[in-house]
Amino acid sequence: MDLWKPQPVGRLPRFRQSLSRKSCVLDQLLQHCLNALVLGGTYALLGIGLTLIFGIMRVVNFTHGELYSFGAYMMFMFVMLLHLDFFLSLVLAMLLGIALGAAIEFLLLRKLRGADIDTTMLVMIGAWIAMQNLEQLVWSGVAKSIKTPFPSSPLVMGALSVSWNRLFVLAVALGLILCTYALVNRTRLGRAMRATFQDPDTAALMGVDIGTIYMSTFALGSGLAAAAGALLGPIFVVTPTMGDLASLKAFAIVILGGLGNIVGATIGGFILAFIEELGAGYISSGYRDAMGFLLIIAILLVRPTGLFSRKERIG
Amino acid sequence: MRRLATIAGLAFLFSIPLWLGNFYLLHVCIITGIFIIAAMSLNLLLGYTGQLSLGQAAFFGIGAYVSSLASLGFEVHLLPDWLVTVDPKPVWFGMACAVVVTGLCGWAIGRIAFKVRGAYFVIVTISFAEVVRLVALNWDELTQGPMALNNIPPLSLVIPGLLDITFIGKVANYYLVLVFAILSYGIIARLVRSRAGRAMIALKENEALAASVGIDVTKYLVLATVMSAAIAGAAGALYAHYVRIVDPNVFLFIYTVTMVIMVVAGGKGTLAGPVVGGVIFGLLPEGLRSLAIAPEVQWIVYGILMILVVYLLPQGIVPALRPFLQHRRHLDAQKQPPADIPASEAMS
Amino acid sequence: MQSSLKSVIAATGILLFASAAWAQDTVKVGVSEPLTGAFAASGNYVTQGAQLAADAINKSGGVLGKKLELIVEDNKSNPTEAVDTAERLIVKDKVPVLMGAWSSTLTLAVMPKLEEYKVPLLVETSSSGKITTSGNPYIFRISPTSEMEATAFAPLAKSLGIKKANFLVTNNDFGKGSMQEFTKMLKGQGVDIGAQETMEPDATDLSAQLAKIKAAGGDTLFVTTDVAQLTLILKQAKDQQITMRIITTGGSVAPDQLIDQAGDAANGSYHLVFFTPWFPDAVKNPDVAQNFTAAWKDKKYNVGGLTEGFRGWDGIYTIAAAINGAGKTEPEAIREALWKVKVKGVNGDISFIKQGPSGKESGQNVPSVYLVKIEGGKVVKQ
Repeated sequence: MDLWKPQPVGRLPRFRQSLSRKSCVLDQLLQHCLNALVLGGTYALLGIGLTLIFGIMRVVNFTHGELYSFGAYMMFMFVMLLHLDFFLSLVLAMLLGIALGAAIEFLLLRKLRGADIDTTMLVMIGAWIAMQNLEQLVWSGVAKSIKTPFPSSPLVMGALSVSWNRLFVLAVALGLILCTYALVNRTRLGRAMRATFQDPDTAALMGVDIGTIYMSTFALGSGLAAAAGALLGPIFVVTPTMGDLASLKAFAIVILGGLGNIVGATIGGFILAFIEELGAGYISSGYRDAMGFLLIIAILLVRPTGLFSRKERIG
Repeated sequence: MRRLATIAGLAFLFSIPLWLGNFYLLHVCIITGIFIIAAMSLNLLLGYTGQLSLGQAAFFGIGAYVSSLASLGFEVHLLPDWLVTVDPKPVWFGMACAVVVTGLCGWAIGRIAFKVRGAYFVIVTISFAEVVRLVALNWDELTQGPMALNNIPPLSLVIPGLLDITFIGKVANYYLVLVFAILSYGIIARLVRSRAGRAMIALKENEALAASVGIDVTKYLVLATVMSAAIAGAAGALYAHYVRIVDPNVFLFIYTVTMVIMVVAGGKGTLAGPVVGGVIFGLLPEGLRSLAIAPEVQWIVYGILMILVVYLLPQGIVPALRPFLQHRRHLDAQKQPPADIPASEAMS
Repeated sequence: MQSSLKSVIAATGILLFASAAWAQDTVKVGVSEPLTGAFAASGNYVTQGAQLAADAINKSGGVLGKKLELIVEDNKSNPTEAVDTAERLIVKDKVPVLMGAWSSTLTLAVMPKLEEYKVPLLVETSSSGKITTSGNPYIFRISPTSEMEATAFAPLAKSLGIKKANFLVTNNDFGKGSMQEFTKMLKGQGVDIGAQETMEPDATDLSAQLAKIKAAGGDTLFVTTDVAQLTLILKQAKDQQITMRIITTGGSVAPDQLIDQAGDAANGSYHLVFFTPWFPDAVKNPDVAQNFTAAWKDKKYNVGGLTEGFRGWDGIYTIAAAINGAGKTEPEAIREALWKVKVKGVNGDISFIKQGPSGKESGQNVPSVYLVKIEGGKVVKQ
């Protein structure tokens, strides 16, 4: 066995060992909270998209995670293969997500309106399997990385630090959440969506075109999922199965926040992120992803309508 | 006539290893058989009580893990200073443990099913499977985590002086799985034709009405989930002792989906449905593979077929074939009512 | 019932070998690699290297006058799937020899099948000590064990001035085996061990583990995983201002890919590698390395994959040498011949020494190990 002759290292990085142990513990806690805040933004984005679809259309949408990975792959294609501008790519990825969502609604769900919840669920599972494997066929199973225009040095605040990319993601996510909230609460389309959520039959009688509402809802939810994927893709890596956990976490957030409840899903997203991050930091990093599912089971057993929902549950 | 057909069918199944001559295909048959048993167990819940459980892979996986651990033996710290040591047990005992433990899990899920229904029940069962997967992944001391439980012993039956069989090799395992499948079929058939089975179907059709005529809804739901879980657990144990390795991916959602496709395509709520669906969707991947089609394309075909089945044969293959079969039977001019009318029809 | 079952069981064995006439128009070699899942990046590189080797061998006449045919199966980074691929390759395709299965966990999963069907496996990447010490006579490994890596690294621990080391490894035989051997070696030199964190092979958010490691303090962080996850770790460590020296073990790092994907977050990191395409004159068999590198670049494969792809090349050349040595394509003859091979590989000369319990020894090669550093976006000798 041979090995190159080692050379002594000049200067070792210096460590702040003068700090007291207490402030170290506090720093660690604050760092975990900061990480959770950034993560929570994208969780909320995923949750809002799904809660609209689940709440208004009564569709358990298994393709939600595929839209998320679709957004990430579109980002990869635009930025790394076509060398488009990073921010333009983000907008394009979201628009394509909206288009794909509308197409899924038109091709698969339109004819099933009024079918029972199990039937549409099976169709969505079929679509999920086909889409995921199509993705794997096109992009192969090898993880893809996306370059970002952000400085690689993080923003440093005392002992805390956060990358500019993550701050950008948080800002965009919060912006999109506010836009969605405004859309649902301040526009005609939003009013029609809320009416459909409360009672589709009455809404139809009052002249609401249910078909348009369903398509808009599914497209909007899909666009938000694609945006979440496009935002997180550059931070992590892009793989064909990245959407699976995203789907399940989105379900957790929806249940946490209550059906069709945008504010609930937003808070739910942040709660899940905090529980995961603190659980991973102080209990066990291996059980990070289990936290959300344990939460679902616990909440449904204690309060089957979700934490923030006053509405009657469906099903 | 029917009895003759049944005997001919069974004889065909028993004769397969004698003329097949291709051990790889026999291997495919064994795996298919195990998944058919799992699909039959799912059918009990999905088809007869109308509860869409998407956590069936959890029971399958728990069965696999429990039986493997019992037959391999293990040491685990339940508390930092409380070490529990279990010596290796005979495999048949491990399989019995698997059935009991999965039955208990089924009981718990049955209780939950009574509280949350519809989409929420689906999500609870998915979450349950996912939590179990993460426990299997992270409780390394017990499960070896992602390193998998390896070198699991094959099933052997030893009665001193009488019997000494070790189920090694394809042919022996084929017969083992076949016998288990027939047993499971028989148990499920008896159950759904019994009073309990009719009660289950009644509460699927109209729960309020069923409750009003005095059917104890909780009792029958729990009975169905316990039976379903125990059979899935037995299938999982068979799987573990055949492939002789278990890793946490046995809990993946895709395995549940495979079972769901088998049941839905074959016809939920019919006894023959999961068998027909299982044969088709168990052998289909091999057929596609021999056409040199990439695995991704196989799965795309799977997904599209699933959508098509829901659109074109919403009741499944077996119910779609039934009018044709009944017409034949009519021609046979049998006097007594046919024995194998699915319970759902017998009720209506 | 009993006797008939017994005879049926016996017939299984006889039929299997009667029907398996290992004679075809091509010489088949089975390859089981992770082409999808957590280790997809590495598995694809190894497979590309293997295919290049097969092409090169076929161009110069093949083996035993026949063409070498690789039958590649995807084990999906999953042990149960790995067993399934071995079953399929041996029983369906009737290959007389296998190469695989990249990760130690995958290789360990396949091992009982080798004993069951008596087919040798050439291990090209896995590093867990258990593979060659558990007494499986069908195992021949060309990659170094974690122990070999740790021993090779030992003199550097002092010169790098390591006082307190932390670990972040994948939660499998590969990561844990490496952590165990390096911990033992470092403790032997009086180095303090801080945090020992694990991560799932497909985890992407490692901020919680890194925060714990940061809180533990120390000057060095040993990381054992494949290249995809390593990129994430370097980026996220930089985000969290972790200034420790990062050293990767296991040889699956592809420094060029790290420079490309992690940018300046890769600067200052050290890597134990088994092939150094950056310094062609430093390798033992420069002509072999040159051939391999040229073939790789000819196909326009990602140069970042050279440090991984060479394993496939070396593995297939070793198998071809064994088949030629055996003079026939029977598993047992190839197994015997593997003991006698002497191959000029990209990573030095390949031959096997005996390891494990006597009577059931596995073959182990003693390859070269190098430490390189990334500085200013370039790989430099260390």
